[in-house]
Amino acid sequence: MIEPSIALFGESFEEASRVLEQLIEDTGAQYALLVDRKGFVLAHKEALWAPRPPALDSLATLVAGNAAATKALAELLGEPRFSELVHQGERQGLYVEEVNDLTLLVIIFDQNAPVGRVKLFGKRAAGMLDRITERAKVESSAARKRLGLDTEYRESASALLDDLFGDL
Amino acid sequence: MSTINFATREINFKIVYYGPGLSGKTTNLKFVYSRIPEDRKGEMVSLATEDERTLFFDFLPVDLGEVKGFKTRFHLYTVPGQVFYNASRKLILRGVDGIVFVADSAPNRLRANAESMRNLRENLAEYELSLEEIPMVLQINKRDLPDALPVDMVRAVIDPEQKYPVFEAVAIQGKGVFEPLREVSRMVLGRLAPQK
Ligand SMILES: Nc1nc2c(ncn2[C@@H]2O[C@H](COP(=O)(O)OP(=O)(O)OP(=O)(O)O)[C@@H](O)[C@H]2O)c(=O)[nH]1
Ligand SMILES: [Mg+2]
Repeated sequence: MIEPSIALFGESFEEASRVLEQLIEDTGAQYALLVDRKGFVLAHKEALWAPRPPALDSLATLVAGNAAATKALAELLGEPRFSELVHQGERQGLYVEEVNDLTLLVIIFDQNAPVGRVKLFGKRAAGMLDRITERAKVESSAARKRLGLDTEYRESASALLDDLFGDL
Repeated sequence: MSTINFATREINFKIVYYGPGLSGKTTNLKFVYSRIPEDRKGEMVSLATEDERTLFFDFLPVDLGEVKGFKTRFHLYTVPGQVFYNASRKLILRGVDGIVFVADSAPNRLRANAESMRNLRENLAEYELSLEEIPMVLQINKRDLPDALPVDMVRAVIDPEQKYPVFEAVAIQGKGVFEPLREVSRMVLGRLAPQK
């Protein structure tokens, strides 16, 4: 079995983005991200006033790695899962909530956002994101068709590979 | 499986460097990092011990560019090769699209190569995956060692049926680093867009 992939099409992506936007509004958090468990960013929003976010790629990868390790720890202890995860620093905090088997919700917040509020609204948002991403699960073959990925795609990708990895 | 984001028009692939401890996986990634132009790479993240052994993973995002309107990106990972880190090694394999197996040419690592390949199969099996489904290439590293074993001998223990493309390398000098990466990337892309 190959894991189904998430493909956020126009509408579900818009919906997910709206949930993240509302979440930022409700909590006063700086950034909210929907990431898949492999460490890829699916959607993200930031507060208008927030400073430039850290490298989102690295963030998503570390959160996914962390969540995977936490899950493995839970299994070792015979727990089906440990629910949310909070890291609280001096100025900033990081909150991670499992959305479902495929995705995680990440919220980054500062002193302006009370942790209790982040948790409360985070859980609510996770519920909504669960429904949205469940609908967005796709068979990879269907995704390929929809994308129109074909020989032409492979050939131009191949040319780019030569450019980038070819004569370095 | 690749993650496709239609809304932001991105296709992401995950390529994992696998192999026994000290075979040179991290060295490969560091070299790739040093050679990719600034605007085509993200930050390299290394979760390592004091003595520079990989503890959880190394990570490097590389942008291939735009293909038919889709930003195509590779996420490169290395696993910790040391035997007792298997729990974390397994986690990194989740969602893998392609594998570069980095074997060590040192005579006293022959067995470690074989064991690492077996371990790879076992870990993939836990995700109900097999090497029949995941593109893989072999890199026989440390060809500069004075007592390096013949390539065929190393290959015989990891790929007796000679099913996978093989590349010789001296990763520490950057030799044979990009060739296997390019080949496995090609294979991964080929799987996404199969021949008609
Ligand atoms: N002689 C020689 N040494 C190499 C070569 N490539 C890597 N090394 C050395 O081998 C040692 C281990 O390299 P790493 O890249 O850290 O190995 P690794 O596979 O990441 O090891 P783990 O993280 O423990 O799994 C380092 O001292 C490297 O300098 C090579 O081509 N030739
Ligand atoms: Mg390493």
